[in-house]
Amino acid sequence: MTDQLAPIMHHDGQETAPVAWNREALAPGPAQEAVIKGITGEITEKGFVVANVDKLVNWARTGSLWPLSFGLACCAVEMIHAFMPRYDLDRFGIIPRGSPRQADVMIVSGTLTNKMAPAMRRIYDQMAEPRWVISMGSCANGGGYYHYSYSVVRGCDRIVPVDIYVPGCPPTAEALVYGILQLQKKIQRTGTILRG
Amino acid sequence: MSDIILRDDIPDTMQPDQTGDGRSVKTVEIDSHSLNFGPQHPSAHGVLRLVLEMDGEVVARAVPHIGLLHRGTEKLIEYKTYMKALPYFDRLDYVSPMCQEHAFALATEKLLGIEIPERAKWIRTMFAEITRVLSHLLSVTSFALDCGALTPALWGYEEREKLLEFYEAVSGARYHANYFRPGGVAKDMPVGLDERIAAWATEFPKFVDTLEAMLTDNRIWKQRTVGIGVFTPEQALDWGFSGPNLRASGVPWDLRRTQPYDMYHEVEFEVPVARNGDCYDRYLVRIAEMRQSVRIVEQCLARMQPGPIKIQDTKISPPTRTEMKRSMEALIHHFKLYTEGYHVPPGATYTVVETPKGEFGVYMIADGSNRPYRCKIRSTGFAHLQALDELSRRHMLADTVAIIGSLDLVFGEIDR
Amino acid sequence: MGDLVASGLAGRLGAMAFALSTGLEGVLSAAVEKGELVVHVRRQSLPGVMRVLRDDPRYAFQQMMDLCGVDYPDRPERFDVVYNLLSVTLNQRCRVIITTDEVAAVPSVHRLWSSATWWERECYDLFGVLFSDQPDLRRILTDYGFEGHPLRKDFPLTGHVEVRYDVDRGAVVYEPVKLVQDLRNFDFTSPWEGVMTLPGDEKAHESRQGIVAGPPGQKR
Repeated sequence: MTDQLAPIMHHDGQETAPVAWNREALAPGPAQEAVIKGITGEITEKGFVVANVDKLVNWARTGSLWPLSFGLACCAVEMIHAFMPRYDLDRFGIIPRGSPRQADVMIVSGTLTNKMAPAMRRIYDQMAEPRWVISMGSCANGGGYYHYSYSVVRGCDRIVPVDIYVPGCPPTAEALVYGILQLQKKIQRTGTILRG
Repeated sequence: MSDIILRDDIPDTMQPDQTGDGRSVKTVEIDSHSLNFGPQHPSAHGVLRLVLEMDGEVVARAVPHIGLLHRGTEKLIEYKTYMKALPYFDRLDYVSPMCQEHAFALATEKLLGIEIPERAKWIRTMFAEITRVLSHLLSVTSFALDCGALTPALWGYEEREKLLEFYEAVSGARYHANYFRPGGVAKDMPVGLDERIAAWATEFPKFVDTLEAMLTDNRIWKQRTVGIGVFTPEQALDWGFSGPNLRASGVPWDLRRTQPYDMYHEVEFEVPVARNGDCYDRYLVRIAEMRQSVRIVEQCLARMQPGPIKIQDTKISPPTRTEMKRSMEALIHHFKLYTEGYHVPPGATYTVVETPKGEFGVYMIADGSNRPYRCKIRSTGFAHLQALDELSRRHMLADTVAIIGSLDLVFGEIDR
Repeated sequence: MGDLVASGLAGRLGAMAFALSTGLEGVLSAAVEKGELVVHVRRQSLPGVMRVLRDDPRYAFQQMMDLCGVDYPDRPERFDVVYNLLSVTLNQRCRVIITTDEVAAVPSVHRLWSSATWWERECYDLFGVLFSDQPDLRRILTDYGFEGHPLRKDFPLTGHVEVRYDVDRGAVVYEPVKLVQDLRNFDFTSPWEGVMTLPGDEKAHESRQGIVAGPPGQKR
């Protein structure tokens, strides 16, 4: 939680460019230790620490994006694959939740039909602020292969506001992981503690 | 305290028991109330909405509401050429895509009156079995997940990833392969894939052993599944069951054996049949089928010979890209096939395949044009879900979840 | 071996088709088409025929695997209702076809096969075929409050309504369907087979069709 944009120091002292998705992050190493030492020093000495609250909040939010396991169709299987060991979204602090009350992000994975639309909006309304929506797959993005069907919503953005669109039919688990990382970036950039 | 109400519609385990001091526990009549389950529920396997009429914690009646994923596939197919209609089948039962394509490809071939080359048949048979393992892995592990066992899912999905690599190698896509085409398969297998599949086939039975070690004799697993959702053979036939769910009830019926298609009459395999028809038996049948599938895959690999992978009739199967760049005729054929498609002579057929879930049928009516006049999809899970009311009656609420898991439902296929 | 089985099956189906078409009241015709037994039945005699098909040990169709509708708008009785039956003991299949229209009810077979209920509901939902003696004839697949029967040939593919969330009303609302780009439904009737004249190509077309006087093949 430092305001500096420190380059990442590796164990062997080599410098690399800061990580793209989280510029404030410091890799474990001497630089990070120096920052931690400085902060603990300040706490023991003065009893308080000065930090940027917005950034602190955004850091916390991006580190534990809990998605709602809202599987609709084919894409749901790829979404499960992203949670499972090979892609392991848990390492980003992303743990699927069964209840909208506990969730931060809704991954609309699959075809949204007219019959399902009111239920989905209701689930979205039940989620607590701040909340984000990832639209996963062609069907959720714009109807896709089923665009001209009599029973399909032509894009889930007709029902809920969407933050990130992940293309593909279905997008691979990797593509979804990339989409979630993009959402983290978006939160870093636009996130605010004010309610919007 | 004589106002004990003994109700004979409550199972024995739920009856009030006599306490030691001569007094009985008083049973209170509870109004049945209804409970809405879904459409968004982690153990609903998709978008199932169940309206449960509860009697305390016992399910008096389960009314499934389906159609929450009804995408109008049958109507869309009537507006698409045969070639463009095929990918809809991937998206029906999205955990066993190639088996659904198989039904459509066989139906179209039957109407066209064509016979596909032998290598294509072997490749199809092999990938149908790989798909079976893919589907059963998801089914068994998700079923375990619904009953509270997380580890089988974590391990099983890694095995699925390996199979998806084969899918990707052969078709370019992890799920929606669009690989089995009327007239053969889309492309030949890439060099070296057969060795990778063979290596997987020697390793995989060990994983099934591990999976069984976790579940088969597990006390909690047995308590959750043995004697739950029992169906007799007569009931299973009456309710239109097929596939593992029918075999678990003791009916030795497998379309791969009784009405073989492609190369199933050439390969040796056993059809596992269980006796009790409960959730545990449905699980056992699926585990045994995975082992048999590996056997079939090995035989397919051993007997596959090099050769053409689609029929040589250029009016039906498209030319390769290289041919297309060199020959004018091939270019014309390519253009015609991808715009107009081929015309199928008038006729009707009900063609079935044994998908991992059971009998999947395509009832197709061709009118001589380049589009199907009517294409009815006989989905497997539709019949299975219909019996949920019968299966879960007088069971506890948690058992309903186990029954849903054991039936192996996928809503893309049920709702179409 | 597969061929032997197939030829044996074809002979048995042929014999069965003959027995059905001659010996059973209400059967209009029975024939083997593409190796599949197809039986056309008069609508009113359906329950009787179905009971025989299920209970007679020669047929023993224990399972009704599928029921579906087919729409032919040009016919006086526009709908076909198709039943696909399966016998697991004799390993044979049979397709029973009856015709009906929008108002004439088809006798339900749910007392013979319990699985028929949902299939009949589906057929009612998608085609509007009515089934008598069916206590649970509700819509099953389409939306709650859906109007029309989508699989009829005169129902447009894109339907009549679409949904949208209305912020002012705070609810999901239905509106008449409005497409940015209509479905491009090409007519692929081939110009090469000489049935369509391309714009600017009238002359060549006429000479191909032999409309213009002159010996054929003398295009230039």
